[in-house]
Amino acid sequence: MKIFSASALFQTSILLYLLAAIAALVFIKQQKWDNIISNIICIIAAIFGIAASLMKILVEDMPINISIFHSTIPFISVELRIDHLSAFFVLSLSLLVVCVSLYSIGYISHYIGKRKVGLFNFLYSAFILSMFLVMTSGNAVFFLLTWEAMSLLSYFLVVFESEHEENQAAGTLYIIMTHVGTAFLMVGFMMMYSYTQSFDMFGSSADIPILAKNAMFIMFLIGFGTKAGVIPFHIWLPCAHPAAPSNVSALMSGIMIKTAIYGMLRFIFTYLGVQSTWWGALIIVLGIFSSTLGVSYAFVMANIKKLLAYSSIENIGIIFIGLGIGFIAQAQGHLTVSALAIIASLFHSFNHTLFKGSLFLGAGSIQYATHTKNMEELGGLIKKMPLTALFVLGGALSAASIVPFNGFIGEWLTYQSLFANIVPGQAALNILSILSVAVLAMTGAMAAASFVKLFGISFLGLPRSEQALQAKEVPCVMNIGTGILVTLCLFIGLFPLPILKVVDKVVLNLMGTSLIGQLQGGLLIAYYPLQISGNVISPLLFFVVLVAVILFALLVIRIIGGKYSERKYGTWDCGFEALNSRMQYSAAGFSNPIEIVFKILFRPSRKLKVEGKLAYHPESIEYTTVWESIFEKHLYNPIFYVIKMLSRRTKFIIQTGSIHSYLLYIFVVVLVLMMYNTFV
Amino acid sequence: MSNYFDALSVLILFSSFILMANKRIKSYIKTFRIQSLLIALAAGIMGIKGSFEEGRIDILVVCLLIVVLKVIFIPNLLNKTYANIEYKVEKDFILNIPILILMCCALVVFTYFSLSTIDGINAGIINTQVVNSVSVILIGLLFMISRKKAIGQIVGFLVIENGLYITALFSTHGMPFIVDVGIFIDVITAVMILGFMVFRINEKFESIDIDKLNNLRG
Repeated sequence: MKIFSASALFQTSILLYLLAAIAALVFIKQQKWDNIISNIICIIAAIFGIAASLMKILVEDMPINISIFHSTIPFISVELRIDHLSAFFVLSLSLLVVCVSLYSIGYISHYIGKRKVGLFNFLYSAFILSMFLVMTSGNAVFFLLTWEAMSLLSYFLVVFESEHEENQAAGTLYIIMTHVGTAFLMVGFMMMYSYTQSFDMFGSSADIPILAKNAMFIMFLIGFGTKAGVIPFHIWLPCAHPAAPSNVSALMSGIMIKTAIYGMLRFIFTYLGVQSTWWGALIIVLGIFSSTLGVSYAFVMANIKKLLAYSSIENIGIIFIGLGIGFIAQAQGHLTVSALAIIASLFHSFNHTLFKGSLFLGAGSIQYATHTKNMEELGGLIKKMPLTALFVLGGALSAASIVPFNGFIGEWLTYQSLFANIVPGQAALNILSILSVAVLAMTGAMAAASFVKLFGISFLGLPRSEQALQAKEVPCVMNIGTGILVTLCLFIGLFPLPILKVVDKVVLNLMGTSLIGQLQGGLLIAYYPLQISGNVISPLLFFVVLVAVILFALLVIRIIGGKYSERKYGTWDCGFEALNSRMQYSAAGFSNPIEIVFKILFRPSRKLKVEGKLAYHPESIEYTTVWESIFEKHLYNPIFYVIKMLSRRTKFIIQTGSIHSYLLYIFVVVLVLMMYNTFV
Repeated sequence: MSNYFDALSVLILFSSFILMANKRIKSYIKTFRIQSLLIALAAGIMGIKGSFEEGRIDILVVCLLIVVLKVIFIPNLLNKTYANIEYKVEKDFILNIPILILMCCALVVFTYFSLSTIDGINAGIINTQVVNSVSVILIGLLFMISRKKAIGQIVGFLVIENGLYITALFSTHGMPFIVDVGIFIDVITAVMILGFMVFRINEKFESIDIDKLNNLRG
C-alpha cells in the first residue's frame, strides 16, 4: 500500500478521530488540556480527511474498499467503500470539522470546571467519527449501525446541558423522531434484502419488482426525510438544534442533516434508480413546503438558534427541490438537466454546510458573550464584538443568497435547472417547476428579511439588556474558526469554479454526465448552462462592478457636494430626555407585519397585559405572542392520540394481569407453532 | 434396551397424568418426586449402558444429581415452604379434573401428529419416547394454567423442566456434562427464588392464590 494514497489518508483520518475520542477520556481529569488535545487531534484528522477526499475525487477514479474486519456472524462486517459521492460529503464534513474544532477550543473553555469537558469531547469526536462512517460505509447493515450511533451520540450532545427542562424535552422528541425515521429505513433495508438476498448497497437492484421499489422509495423518503428535517417530519429540528451546545448545532445543522441527502442519493438515486416521474414530483412538493414554511417560521423567531434551525429547514427544502428536478429529469431521460440539478443540490448542500456552520458558530459566540439566545435581550453588539458581527454578517449574506457569497451560486443553479426542466408537452410538471421558481424567489426574499432581522436586532441599535451591555469579544480561536468558514463562503462565491469542478467530477462519477464544459465560460467566471442564452452570470464581475459603482457614487457626491465637515452628536430625540433601548424596533415588532399577513399559518394568539392603577398611565405592559404549531396540532397530536388509545385498549384486553392468561398465551403459541410444523 | 426406555417414557407420561388428577398440594409434590425418580431411573439405565459400552460415567453422575436434587432436595424444600404458609383447603383448579385429563389425552395425540412430520427424530417408525416426553412438557404447561395456587405453578414449572430434560436425554442419549450441570443449577436457583416468592406473596396477600395478583398490573 502506498503511503500517500487516498485510502491510507482516509484510514489515518479515522484512526485520528478514534484517538481524539480516546484522548478525551484519558485526560478527563485535566479539563483544559483535554479540550485542547482532543480538538487539535480532531483538526488534524479533518485535515487528513480533506486531503484524502480531494485526492480521491481529483486523482483516483476507482472506489476505495477498506475492510476493517469480517466476522463469521452474517452481515456483521465493518467495511468501508468510498466513491466520489462519499468523498464529497467527507470533504464537507472535514472542512466544517476543522473550523468547528478550532472554535470549540475557545467555546468549550466556558464549560471547564462546570461540566464534564472530557465526556463532551469524547461524544463530540465520536459523533464526528460516526458521521464519517455513515458517509463511507460499504454495506447497508453497517450503514444502519453507524446511522444509529450518529443519532444516539447526537442525542447525548443535545441533552448535554440537561438541567434545562426544555433541553430534555427537545432531546426526547429528537430521539423519538429519529428512531421513527430509522424504523422506516430498516423496513426499506429488509425489503432490499428479501428481494436481492444481500445488503450490498452498491449492487444491482434489478431483482426488485417495481411495486416494491415504489414502497422502498417511500420508506427511504420518510426515513431520510426525518433526518433531513423536511416538513412535515421536521418537528424535532427546531427544538434539538437550539438545545445543543453551539458547536454541536453547527455540526448537526451543517452536516448531520446532509447525511440524509447522501442517503437519498446513495439509496434512491443510485441503488434503486429513478423509476417514475412521481418520485421527483413528490420530492419537489416536500421541498416546496419545507422552503416556504421553514423560512416563514424562521422569520418570526426571536431565538437566534431557532431562527437558524428553521432556516436549515428552508435550505434543506431548496436542496430537495434540486434533487426533485434531478429525479424528474432522470426519469424522463434528460441527462444534462438531471446532472445540472444534482450539481445544484450538491453544491447548495456544500454551501449550506459552510454558511450555516458559520452562523451557528456566530450564534454560539453571541451566547458565549451574553449568555442569551433571545434577540430581544441583545442589540448593539457590533460595537462590542466587531469581528463576530462581521462574520455573522458574512454568513447572513450568504444564507440570504446575496452576491457575492456562495449561497447565491447554489440557488442560482437550482433556478437554472428549474428553468431547464420546463419543456413543452408536460403541463403538470411545468406548473410544478414554475411554482418552484416562484417559491424559491419568495423564499429568497423572506430569508433576506429573516437575516436582516437577525443581524439588525442583535447587532445594531442599543443594547437591550445588561448582558448585552457587558458583552466582550470572544477568544481569538473562536473567531478564527468562524472566520475561515465565512472567508470560504466569500471565496467560493467569487470563484465558484474550483468547487464546481469537484462537484462536477462527483456527478460525472455518479451519472456519467459532465457539465463543466458548459458551466465555464471565458474568464473562468461565467456560466453558460445548457445553452440557454442570456443566463450568463459572473459573481466576480458583479462584485467588481458593485465596488466600482459605490466608489463612483462616492466620488460623484464628493464632486457635487464639495467638502463637508463631520461632527459627532446625539440623534435628535424629539425633546425627550434621552433615547433608550426601549424605543427601538424589537424583534417581535419587526416580524409582526408578516405574522399578520400569514395569520393562517401562524395562528398567533396575542396577550396584552397592562399593569398599573390608571389605564392611561400604565406601570408596565407585557405583550406576548404564542404561535400555534399547525403540524404538531393537526398531524402529530392525532397520531399520538390514536397510539395512546390503542395501547390503552390493548392493556385492558391483553395485559389483564392474570398469570393464567399469560401462561395461556404461551401455551397457545406453542400449540400453534407445533400445528404450523405439522400442516405447513 | 429400547424397551426399557419405551416403558419408562410411558411411565413418566403416566405420572404427569396422575399429577394432573391430583387435588391436593401435598400430592403434587409426591407425584413430582415419583416422576423425578423415574427420570433418574432412565438416566441410570442410560448411564450403565454408557459406562459399559463407551466407558463414560458422566450420565451416572447426572443420575446421582437428579436423585439428590429432584427426588430429595426440591420436594423437601417445597414441603417446607408449604408447611410454613397457612393451610386452607380450597378448590385449587380452574377446570374439572376429568376435562383436564381429556385435554391431556388430546395433547398427547396432537404431539404425536406434530412430531410425526419431523425428519431426523424418527427413523422409519415414530419415536414414541420423544412423543411422550414432549407431551410431558405440554402437560406441565397445562398444569400451570389449570392451578390457582402458586405452588401449583412451581410444580408445573418443574414438570416442564423434567419434560425438557427427558426429551433431551431420549433424543441425544446423553448430553454434554457441562450442559446438564448448567440446567441443574438453573433449576435450583429458580426453585429457591420461586419458593421465596411464595412466602412473599403469602405475606402480602394472605393467600398464595395467584388470581389475587391481578391488581398488581400498571
